[in-house]
Amino acid sequence: MIFEQLSGNLLQGVILGGVYGMATMGLSLIFGVLKVVNVGHGAFIMVGAYVALILFQTLGIAPPLAVPVALILGMALGMLFYYTAIKKLLKGPELASLLATFSIGVILEEVCKQLFTSEARGYHWGLDKLDLGFTVLPYSKLIAFGGSILVGLLLYLWFHKTRAGMAMRSVVEDDEGAGVCGINVDWEYALSFSIGIGLTVVSGVLLTMFIPVGINPYMGGSYTLKAFVIAVLGGLASPYGAFFGGLVFGLIENGSYTLFAQIPGLEPFAMTRFFSFVMLLVILLIRPTGLLRTK
Amino acid sequence: MKNNNVIILLMVFLMMAIFNAQSVFAAKLEKVIIGHPAALSGKYAKAGEQAVAGIQAAVDWVNSVHGGIAVDGKKVPLDYKYYDCESRKESVTSLLERLITSDKVHFTFAPYSSGLTLAGAPIAEKYGMVYMDHGGASDKIFRQGFEYVVQTIGPGSRYHAGTLEMIKKIDPTTNPHPKKIALAYEDSEFARSVMDGAEEKAKELGFDIVFKRTYPKGVTDLTPLLSDLKAAAPDVVIGGGHFQDGQLLNKQMADLGINTRLLSLIAAATLPAFGEALGEFAEGVMGPSHWEYGVTFSKEGAAKEGLTWIGPSQDEYVKLFKKAVGSDTLPDYHAAEASAAVLALVLAVEKVNSVDPDVVRDALGELKFMSFYGNWDIDKTGKQVGHAMVDVQWQKGERKIVWPESAKTADVVYPKPDFK
Repeated sequence: MIFEQLSGNLLQGVILGGVYGMATMGLSLIFGVLKVVNVGHGAFIMVGAYVALILFQTLGIAPPLAVPVALILGMALGMLFYYTAIKKLLKGPELASLLATFSIGVILEEVCKQLFTSEARGYHWGLDKLDLGFTVLPYSKLIAFGGSILVGLLLYLWFHKTRAGMAMRSVVEDDEGAGVCGINVDWEYALSFSIGIGLTVVSGVLLTMFIPVGINPYMGGSYTLKAFVIAVLGGLASPYGAFFGGLVFGLIENGSYTLFAQIPGLEPFAMTRFFSFVMLLVILLIRPTGLLRTK
Repeated sequence: MKNNNVIILLMVFLMMAIFNAQSVFAAKLEKVIIGHPAALSGKYAKAGEQAVAGIQAAVDWVNSVHGGIAVDGKKVPLDYKYYDCESRKESVTSLLERLITSDKVHFTFAPYSSGLTLAGAPIAEKYGMVYMDHGGASDKIFRQGFEYVVQTIGPGSRYHAGTLEMIKKIDPTTNPHPKKIALAYEDSEFARSVMDGAEEKAKELGFDIVFKRTYPKGVTDLTPLLSDLKAAAPDVVIGGGHFQDGQLLNKQMADLGINTRLLSLIAAATLPAFGEALGEFAEGVMGPSHWEYGVTFSKEGAAKEGLTWIGPSQDEYVKLFKKAVGSDTLPDYHAAEASAAVLALVLAVEKVNSVDPDVVRDALGELKFMSFYGNWDIDKTGKQVGHAMVDVQWQKGERKIVWPESAKTADVVYPKPDFK
């Protein structure tokens, strides 16, 4: 029975971890290129969740089809916030951009509250589920997981196989050198911020396919905390590291629950958080640059 | 002679000064002000918005229908001052200080939730201000020795007393008799209080608690806990904490195919958004509620019980509430309990003809009345003991009152339909 539970929880953990990883890639990309810590990260996930909800409820659009809409909206928001706030603060102290992204998060929350009220909402897609015997997986979760892998793969291909992606990588390596070689560094910054936000908003759509309830303007806070842990775990500036960090985080969170549940007198869920942070410390001690960060 | 005139003149001035001072003092009470650090944004925004509109509706009734509050032989308006505490404890304490010391309010209201109510209570105690608790249900609040906290919402320990009695009554002979109860709940002050009360009541009625586990606030996935719960094969699941987590618990129970005879969720299941968010998975899910549109408390009912009646009828109240929110939204119990707290305060002030917090606190202790919200009575600690709860159940997309029998608007669907 314990083995069955552990297997089920680990499988669920991998799937959830994949989506968490996807939800962290935008944060890592923005930090990697611009060195800006986006503390308003969770608010953009919330925007994605509302995109999925509203498109499903008003137009009956299935959540996977909301992904392109979320990407375009997220990239537009990214451009808007880059040119109105972030660009001016890039040369300033780190605290300035930190406060700016915090403010952007609060603004988004309050705008969404005015538009959609603070009610916790949700949608019911009604897909069937896959019964594996030791656990049950709704197809919507599997689609979310597949979508996360696909988005991660596309990002990898874009970075490594396109000129625009290589230009962005060159800015990460050495922005002055890239500028000398004729690359428009400011545009690369804008594009990175825009893609980072676009990815984050897309992850909001995918997360609702995993958890299609509890959508409210303040839902982002929990994801921001998780995203920071995952980002550090994977290597703060590495989007792919973030994806693998998410997988590891999901496995640790779900796997450790089953083990802690065997110890009488312990509250296993409380211990999983404790254990996740202990593991984070251990990994950082062994590998300070995170799992996949390369110099 | 000259000295005598000076003394007489001085005495006249002194008397005039005393007279003027009294006039100024009397003139000071031009209105009675209640102050409220309301949770208008953040985690508890939904309940906080309902509470603010509920207080505004009650204040509207007091001023426009009741004619104000009778103090010192005249009726003065009731004023309501509130700030957004953003559902944060540190804001609650600073805003209460501001309301008391700068805005000079006469009475304070607690924000929604047990945690925030507890955070503000020491400030109210420090200034000796009556602190009306409309949304903090935890019994712990009343074990701290606070003297000025007065509760209107019922205590958490009694949330599921009716639910468990209902199961015992309607399902006494089914074979196998439902014995196994699982408690899965948020690690919060409120939920702990509710579940400890449910555990105690369940044991008293002969049920077995086969699972009792918490999950952290802000949880985003309950699969591990629910897999664990599924292995315990409970007949009844009682759980939840607030809004998002309650929806999540229900959704993931459906995902994992955990079917029970009864599922009761605190807070979440009593809100209209629950049915919309869960769709068919909400069918048959229950929740304890302090008030629902459709309960039948009336002036006549109060007279029969020999109780004072105050406030609008249910339909009048709904109109006032809709006016306050400026939309067609119906009040839920978060609004109703906040409104009832205002009505209790008005009765107490009028009874003692004073706004002195100590005198009014004593009067609240003696008070027993009925309003559209139901009965109101507190014990020595300030804990609500007069108000009875109802159980609601989602049936074909609508909330129905199914328990107690005297208040029900539909028969309970039991056992609950399985998740498809």
